Amino acid sequence: MYNKERIFQLIDQALALTQGHPALVQVTSSAEGLSRIANSEIHQNVFEDRTSLSVTIYDSKKSSSISTTLLSQEGIAEAVQEAIANLALLPEGEEQQPLISEPKEMETLRFSLELHEAFGVETRVQMIADGFKGIPDNYKAYGQLAYRATNTGMGNSAGIRRYSDDNSVRFSLLVSDDVGGTGYASMVASTPEEVDLASVFAIALQKAQANQDPIELEPGAYTVILEPMAVSNLLGSLMFSFSGAALVSKMSFLTDRLGEQLFSEKLTIVDDWTNPLSPGIAFDSEGVPRSKLTLVDKGVTKEVAWDRAAAAKAGAQTTGHALSFMGRSASAPMNTVITPGEKPLAQIIAETTKALLVTRFHYMNPVNARQALLTGITRDGFFLVENGKITKAVRNMRFTESMLKAFSQIEEIASDGERLGAMMGSSYVPGMKITDFHFTGKTSFTDT
Amino acid sequence: MEPVVLKEKMQQVLSFIKAQEGVEYADVRSNYIITENCSTENMKVQSLSSAKNLGYGIRVYMQGSMGFAGSQDFENMEATAKIAMEIAQATRLTQKHPVKLAPKPVVVASYATPIEIDPFTVSKEEKLGLLFEAEALMREAAPQLFRTQGNLMFRHEVKTWADTDGGFITQDLYEIGGSISAIAIGKGEMQLRSYPNSAGGNFATAGWEFIKAMDLPGNAARVGREAMALVEAEECPSGIFDIVIAPSQLVLQIHESVGHPIELDRMLGYEAGMAGTSFLDSVEPGKFRYGSEHVTIVADATAPGGVGTFGYDDDGVAAQPIEVITKGIFHNFLSSRDTAAVIGKPSNGTCRADGWGRIPIVRMTNISLMPGDFTFDELIGGIEDGLYLDVNRSWSIDDRRLNFQFATEVAYEIKQGKLTGKIYKNPIYTGITPVFWGSCDGVGNPDFWRMMGVANCGKGEPGQVAHCGHGSAPARFRQVKVGVADV
Repeated sequence: MYNKERIFQLIDQALALTQGHPALVQVTSSAEGLSRIANSEIHQNVFEDRTSLSVTIYDSKKSSSISTTLLSQEGIAEAVQEAIANLALLPEGEEQQPLISEPKEMETLRFSLELHEAFGVETRVQMIADGFKGIPDNYKAYGQLAYRATNTGMGNSAGIRRYSDDNSVRFSLLVSDDVGGTGYASMVASTPEEVDLASVFAIALQKAQANQDPIELEPGAYTVILEPMAVSNLLGSLMFSFSGAALVSKMSFLTDRLGEQLFSEKLTIVDDWTNPLSPGIAFDSEGVPRSKLTLVDKGVTKEVAWDRAAAAKAGAQTTGHALSFMGRSASAPMNTVITPGEKPLAQIIAETTKALLVTRFHYMNPVNARQALLTGITRDGFFLVENGKITKAVRNMRFTESMLKAFSQIEEIASDGERLGAMMGSSYVPGMKITDFHFTGKTSFTDT
Repeated sequence: MEPVVLKEKMQQVLSFIKAQEGVEYADVRSNYIITENCSTENMKVQSLSSAKNLGYGIRVYMQGSMGFAGSQDFENMEATAKIAMEIAQATRLTQKHPVKLAPKPVVVASYATPIEIDPFTVSKEEKLGLLFEAEALMREAAPQLFRTQGNLMFRHEVKTWADTDGGFITQDLYEIGGSISAIAIGKGEMQLRSYPNSAGGNFATAGWEFIKAMDLPGNAARVGREAMALVEAEECPSGIFDIVIAPSQLVLQIHESVGHPIELDRMLGYEAGMAGTSFLDSVEPGKFRYGSEHVTIVADATAPGGVGTFGYDDDGVAAQPIEVITKGIFHNFLSSRDTAAVIGKPSNGTCRADGWGRIPIVRMTNISLMPGDFTFDELIGGIEDGLYLDVNRSWSIDDRRLNFQFATEVAYEIKQGKLTGKIYKNPIYTGITPVFWGSCDGVGNPDFWRMMGVANCGKGEPGQVAHCGHGSAPARFRQVKVGVADV
């Protein structure tokens, strides 16, 4: 893994080859050790050390990007030359994108040496082995424990320098008995103090033990209580629409509806990289300082994440949320926090007469993006709540529901939440109670 | 790096590993992958990008435990080997069942994708010109379209593999793919038509000739007109219908409801924490009825042009055809050396990694529904009131691969054995895997059979993306649940 000094050597090397063209160079270097668990053994234990360089050359209203892991002088020169050559084939964009020139220096330093020293492969395996001791013989554990460190540097020919380092631990665990009664829990940590594998083992086991003899319910509309992971699953799909590129392409359900009260007034979602509940990096993949966004304010959709190209097309301003995506314009909220409510999730459950409690959803996909219509399946803990108590496990069911409708029918948001890894970035989400949530299919083998 | 130098470095590091105490087996694999993507949108180049990716991974088995390390540093391969060995040693702490590897022959061989025209020798101007031509034809046929798009993907991989048994295999692999799409907006709706499929289109192991044969311009006008027509179309009705499914949707149906459940690693629980398991965990191969007698499915890593076609997998096992389902009866899982050993069988050669930094795992090759003996008109002719579904739009299936739901771009109405010409928008169908395949009562004959591919199959932790082929002809299914509006 490359340190800061070596990363900026590569960046300077590439910038020196750009033949006077304005250019932006980014180097990302990461190392990840990951231990996978199946049948209460580690069956796959891997390490990867990867460094890649991407160069973007600007010319008038054009930009051209190439990436490579060939980091020799020759490899870098080839990448720069190809990026320059491609300019001749590219059309002009909406407007000239001047290089970012201010502020000159930005850094986000989140690397925890203590975390790094605590998560070598031997200690990682020992932690997993210790967790196995609490799993009864008739249950087995499955999942993964990963430690990842990433150093990212960026520089352009206008002289800016950006640098970030961070490291984190992700642990997810599924516990299952022999007949498929499963439970699941997970955690994300950036400091040793945040690491709590024991709680993850305990919660996953507890859920698996409760997930016995499931009853089968008929498809239809039910009140649901979504645990934080289930909310995070839905939120991840929702966030796609809070992007400038999705607005410009009219793929977003916010098309022509930004500023409207689309959701329950109980819902407020903020994207804020400085919030310790969902920490992030101070700048985006274009080197632009990242703004705080109020995406939803008491149910009213307010702001979306912009990159420079999409913003130029829409006459908007970048918010510093650009992503690197195969040379295409892309942006997304990366550090979302849902404002918690007033009661703990346990109290919401205790005060509920009848509802279905969802641990998480599996394999979600948009059926119709403009309608925010999603489908997915419950997984690893789906329970019936009656008169304040979890009374029965329920066989997994498929939902097909518009998120516009679901998030407009929030009855309660919990006061307690979890930091969870998202497809992009991370999020802090509390549980929620939602009425009239549509389940459209069963998973019984004999179902027709 | 010169191949001779690479071979020498690989053999040196394997000798080093072999000399260490407790080492049972090791292999080293180098992948040099060059990708190029070009896309156009509304008659402008949207992206023109390429990437080069070179590195190696070392897998070491020591006293029944495996460790893997991937690196780009070819000057310090012994250091990478030491990391892999440290990981293998550490892993032993939790190892109750030592990993065994099914036997394989020692192979010294090479393989190259048969191609006519190297796509990397075709100019970027020609590639973009083809997309512009197709876009122009879509727009000419339907001037009100909101957006037209085209994309092409090219991949060249030089894979070099060696093991401590003395095996040495080089492979020169080409993949190619592309598509066009038209997007129309109206009545608060966005409707999409794609050719030859959505999600990047169709993919193959082939050269530029594959793109030429695809005939993007020749299909552009139809795609443009159908996108506009969908905006005006009625919502697809909900209910129970007899349906015929086109290969452009069967590709995902086969992938999700056959390809994944037959992966032996899923059956053994290796993917339980993430992608899930398989409903086949309690069935007996050779006895379980997966589908009707019309359903015969083969996994064939040697199928010409299939995007899951190669010479040898990343265990060094030769590509081969596998009988998966014959006349409805399930017979074999897809396996790797470590999973096959658990069930006491030889590996059938489906163990692949998506690059140098990942371990190989069981991946689909070309999993295909074999042709039947129906013409397309005969399939349609057997339906009184039904639908013909074309081109995948959305997919979802549960973690045991039983309950699936797919959306397609379009449904064509069938009445009294004929396509009426009426189309419906937003079709969805859903079912339970063995019930659905059991309802198949006809598959198109070889004249209608097409190999298609997907290039976005995610699996594993850290995540890996595989490219898999799926051949099929249009097939008919009885009494399938369509839509969810009535639930």
